[in-house]
Amino acid sequence: MTAHTHSHTHLPAASDPAPVTAARIGIGGPVGSGKTALIERLIPVLQARGIDFAVVTNDLVTKEDAERLRRSGLIDPARVEAVEAGACPHTVIREDPTLNIAAGDDLEARFPGLQLIVFESGGDNLASTFSLDLVDWWIFVIDVAGGDDIPRKRGPGVLRCDLLVVNKTDLAPHVGVDLDGMLAEARRARGEKPVIATNARTGAGVEAVADAIARAVLFAP
Amino acid sequence: MRVIQRVLGSRLDAAFAERLHHLEHHGAVDVLRVPSADTARRRLRAVTEGGEEIALALPRDQTLFDGAVLVLEDHRAIVARVGAVRWLRLRAKNLPDALELGYHAGNLHWRVRFADGALLVALEAPAEDYLVRLGDLAGDGRLAHDVVDDAPGEA
Repeated sequence: MTAHTHSHTHLPAASDPAPVTAARIGIGGPVGSGKTALIERLIPVLQARGIDFAVVTNDLVTKEDAERLRRSGLIDPARVEAVEAGACPHTVIREDPTLNIAAGDDLEARFPGLQLIVFESGGDNLASTFSLDLVDWWIFVIDVAGGDDIPRKRGPGVLRCDLLVVNKTDLAPHVGVDLDGMLAEARRARGEKPVIATNARTGAGVEAVADAIARAVLFAP
Repeated sequence: MRVIQRVLGSRLDAAFAERLHHLEHHGAVDVLRVPSADTARRRLRAVTEGGEEIALALPRDQTLFDGAVLVLEDHRAIVARVGAVRWLRLRAKNLPDALELGYHAGNLHWRVRFADGALLVALEAPAEDYLVRLGDLAGDGRLAHDVVDDAPGEA
């Protein structure tokens, strides 16, 4: 784009070179729904697309998820930061996200050119939501084994997220869940907002999640 | 697609007002409608009223606001207009119910205001979704409720 000034006054143009900041997205959801597993599957997909990214994990009182990612061999360990929530996980992604914002700022300072920072919430309940002061766009992950009644419960996490991921689709026949019915109910509850079914063990659906991220905050076609 | 990397200023700023007024006379000011709930997003894709798809990638220290000037060129401008905040106004009929309402609003982390003895909840979803969370308190007619736009009151 070309920078513009006009003949009357010297006004700045929105397309002037500006400090480039990384897009920030959140991944939240109940304990054990597969948030970390989804990130582990997303990492190689994002890398294959040439996206420069880093991850901030949130745990209650440990750095378990961060260590899991650092040891995975999938990503430079320096690109994974840990925030200890200390109390309710939603506190540090919604009421006071200062610790996470600081972790994101630190990553941006250490990795100039960073395009994307993924904030993984600690496992929480269906009321968990992200502050838009922290992230630009967020995913909520539920799983089939958690029960096909989750969409019906209309938790704020399920309703307000930008993308709902229904994970562990392979478990549906083993836990007596009608997957198609669960997805239909989720879509009904969310109106026009998207729902994607995934199996983070096999990677099914993960490309579609990466597509959604790239389109929403990296402005891919 | 045009990527806007910062807000230039307010349409009310003296530096912009005259220029925008001139462009408006030529039908050259396009409007980006933004729901109030989306103003905190620094990254956003949207389509203007004129049909142009644009992307916002604002610095972390900037947010959208009503009247934000996003584009100002010789023959064209884009200005953001933010939709009114809708509020669910709840009025308890007695003190015990008011206490219970206050408990629920806090427990559910709702964003609220107070005005004229009523509690107002900022709506980010249909009002019914909020009322159902109040259970008997709303279902038994112990609260008067309606929906209003941009209510006055103290945060």
